[in-house]
Amino acid sequence: MGHHPIEIQGLVKDYGSFRALHGVDLQVARGEAFGFIGPNGAGKSTTIRCLLDLLRPTAGVATVLGARDLANNPAIRARIGYLPGELVMTGRRTAREHLTYLATLRGGAGRERIEPLAERFGLALDRPVNGLSKGNKQKVGVIGAFMHAPELLILDEPTSGLDPLLQREFLALVRETAEAGATLFMSSHILSEVEAVAGRVAIIRAGRIVDVEDVRALRERAGQHVRLTFDAPLPAEAARAFAAIPELSALTIDGARLTALLRGSPDRLLKEAARHQVTRWSAEDRNLEELFMDHYRQTSADAGGEAC
Amino acid sequence: MAAPPVLVQVLRERRRSLAGWAVAFAAICGMYTSIYPYMAEMNLQAMLEALPREMIEALGYDDMSSAAGYVGSATYGLVAFALLMVFAIGNGAALLAGDEESGALELELTSPLPRAAIYVQRLGALWAQITALVAVVFAVTLTLDLAQGLGIPTLDLAAATLQLWLLIGLFGSLAFAAGAATGRRGIGLGVAATLAVVSWMLNAIGPTIGLEWMSSISPVGWYMDSNPITRGFHPVDALLLALAAALVIAAGLRRFVRRDLMT
Ligand SMILES: Nc1ncnc2c1ncn2[C@@H]1O[C@H](COP(=O)(O)OP(=O)(O)OP(=O)(O)O)[C@@H](O)[C@H]1O
Ligand SMILES: [Mg+2]
Repeated sequence: MGHHPIEIQGLVKDYGSFRALHGVDLQVARGEAFGFIGPNGAGKSTTIRCLLDLLRPTAGVATVLGARDLANNPAIRARIGYLPGELVMTGRRTAREHLTYLATLRGGAGRERIEPLAERFGLALDRPVNGLSKGNKQKVGVIGAFMHAPELLILDEPTSGLDPLLQREFLALVRETAEAGATLFMSSHILSEVEAVAGRVAIIRAGRIVDVEDVRALRERAGQHVRLTFDAPLPAEAARAFAAIPELSALTIDGARLTALLRGSPDRLLKEAARHQVTRWSAEDRNLEELFMDHYRQTSADAGGEAC
Repeated sequence: MAAPPVLVQVLRERRRSLAGWAVAFAAICGMYTSIYPYMAEMNLQAMLEALPREMIEALGYDDMSSAAGYVGSATYGLVAFALLMVFAIGNGAALLAGDEESGALELELTSPLPRAAIYVQRLGALWAQITALVAVVFAVTLTLDLAQGLGIPTLDLAAATLQLWLLIGLFGSLAFAAGAATGRRGIGLGVAATLAVVSWMLNAIGPTIGLEWMSSISPVGWYMDSNPITRGFHPVDALLLALAAALVIAAGLRRFVRRDLMT
């Protein structure tokens, strides 16, 4: 059984003369919840479509559930649950007919879970799919991906279109599925969307994997923008005390206002701030683009490149 | 063995539309066949003889003196022929390429079914619909023939029907296969409609300008020659139609299982 559920080696994909993937390498271990993060157009959907054999790689190999030659192993997809990035549901068929048809295509697997899952997500099964709102279509897609309890889930931007309440329900479903031993591979362009469930994440940008890391380490390295406002301007010795906190960088103190980038534990910052009267407080996760900027700065510094 | 799921689903979803087409075919073919006795009284043949010979031949209206000649040119040679072409080419292009373009095909393509099974079952759904409509044409014509005592030789009518079925199946398959090979519905429509018009013209014009070889390379010529009913059964032509269809189907499948899908 030595294989990983997903093993991608040197995956290259061209659309005509445009190279969308420049040699992607990835391994997702059994039982892992893996996040696949990248900005729009990075190549997430292209990678995923290669895993499902909708696209044929220009070079490299994608091995899914031990099947190296996906073209000749379509039956492997019975063990996969796939949620497309752009769900298209046409025709007058109802959500129930759509999901029942999907179950039939899978030899009947999961048919009995349509009803309970629809109830859980509050989906009206007897409405035609083409008239459903984006969120409701997404629910149909989620049920379709999970209903046959597959051992591998490949989810392309699963939470897009779901409101916060449903996102929570979805994440609960993902957690249950992960606890049951399934492997999850989910893409997003926002780190915070996957960090609640993912153990590791890969970051893809312009068709290249730029980083594969533990989600907590990444988050810690990413840091937060912290803003504090005090009831009075800070004295000079207080400013020196804040500047001595190792987790803070890019510190600016402007009268009663403090802004800084926090990486790591907020403990020392909070204890120092508590010596004064705090009137406002905010901490905001940095977005992915800022992370990329860090990454490039770091790699060019490592390579002895020009300073910026 | 379980029923082929894609075939069943496509037919189920198309049943209303197919019923509508069937009613339309029955009405139109019924109308054409039932007016023959009145046309015969009006001495249509004499009227037609006043027209230029080439024009009559090009339209296939060269034998109006018998019911078989009339039904052969009016129903089997023109109305049912043209409407079936429209239906088969439109459906053929929509059934695979149309659904791929809209994205609806993704559900099946990411299911455990092999690509070839999806292709074959959807093609089967096309042929099943064509079979149903051709059967309607045959049944209505035969019923009115018997009811009105028109005396059309039943075997000749059956032979014409079989050859019509093959011809329509060929062009429907061409639209289907060209669409499947490219993923573009417009290409399926364009290729099949262009070739249908070209082969109709080759068959219609060739003989009038003394170039008989034109109709012998035309699939419409293999079906129609001058009149699909009075000419009876031509095994070689039927075989040619079947072989052409098989070739087109195989070529489309070969490309479909190899290319990138849903791009
Ligand atoms: N069918 C296609 N033909 C040509 N180029 C394409 C095609 N599909 C995608 N691309 C290009 O390939 C690159 C990767 O696209 P892909 O859809 O994989 O990105 P993504 O990471 O999924 O983006 P998003 O977050 O917007 O879904 C993009 O530059 C895109 O424009
Ligand atoms: Mg995408």
